[in-house]
Amino acid sequence: MALTNEEINRYTRHLTLPEIGMEGQLKFKEASMLLIGAGGLGSPLGMYLGAAGIGKLGIVDFDVVDNSNLQRQIAHSVADIGRPKVESIKETILAGNPNVEVEVHNTRLTRDNILPLFEQYDVIVDGSDNFETRYLVNDAAYFTKTPLVYGSIFRFEGQITVFHPSHEGPCYRCLYSNPPPANLVPS
Amino acid sequence: MLPGIVGLIQATEALKLILEKGKNLVGRLILFDAMKMNFKNVKLERDPNCDLCGIQPTITELIDYKAFCEIPMPSAEKEDDDFDEESYSIEPEELANILNAGKEIALVDVREQSEWDICYIENAQLMPLSEFDEHISSLNRDEEIYLYCYKGTRSMKALKQLHEEGFTKLKSLTGGIDRWAEEIDSDMPRY
Repeated sequence: MALTNEEINRYTRHLTLPEIGMEGQLKFKEASMLLIGAGGLGSPLGMYLGAAGIGKLGIVDFDVVDNSNLQRQIAHSVADIGRPKVESIKETILAGNPNVEVEVHNTRLTRDNILPLFEQYDVIVDGSDNFETRYLVNDAAYFTKTPLVYGSIFRFEGQITVFHPSHEGPCYRCLYSNPPPANLVPS
Repeated sequence: MLPGIVGLIQATEALKLILEKGKNLVGRLILFDAMKMNFKNVKLERDPNCDLCGIQPTITELIDYKAFCEIPMPSAEKEDDDFDEESYSIEPEELANILNAGKEIALVDVREQSEWDICYIENAQLMPLSEFDEHISSLNRDEEIYLYCYKGTRSMKALKQLHEEGFTKLKSLTGGIDRWAEEIDSDMPRY
């Protein structure tokens, strides 16, 4: 695999950093990442990872864009209200960088569809907003030995870590063995 | 703002995993507090008793995650069983008729101040559930009390509390102010 002249020009700032360089940029181009959710976290994730030149970005979400999303979900615009979030974010990513392959999954993740999906990607990035999905994603990442970049938000606080149990690290269940009682989860 | 900050830290980590350069967040948790503008680094260790990745795992395949996350609080479960919520519920239209008739009733909003500031039903009084205990003494037991919240869950909770205190003339607005805005007052903002 090689970079086209357009790509070399586009990624100049990366290529001149010794920590990235041509070798790193080619790694980006060969890499695939799956984003869970195209909402508050998924928007900046998709836009920046797309712009950075990740070869294949998968995005899972089953929701449609709502007016009340626009305050934080910056991949979507007024014209996207009512459209599937995955379609809207795909357009935004490709408008910035047409070199990226964007694979959309307009579906709810379940235990029946998650494993074959995870097997297709090098890294999973969790931008989900509920405990059910977080445990499902954690377990599926563990079983498929895929590194999982975790992020969550509550009010003014955020948490970020990387779960990579096949590299000695903990998993989400080491951190939270059980979800909070259902009637205490803020809706 | 916050999702942007958290999402971009995730994006940076994802790129580093591909590059295999630098020090990644495996075994470390970043706690970011936007109000204090403070980043904390907490060491995370693998739990040898973890149900999934521990020494003797009990989860060896994907499970039913809906059931796993729906474990209710043990104490709340029982008392809910014998309470007939339906007979203490009122539909938006019924409440609108009562208010329009100008009947003497108490209309109680149990949402929080920040929600009240967005919208409220006229003639309601604010008694946030978070400080509901302090307000109970100001309510008249002989008066009909209509409670509402955002969707109807918190007002039923407050209703049950009043019921336990011996109040009897109680109703909770089904669907809360959100349904009220949808069906009765189209000028009311929805959030």
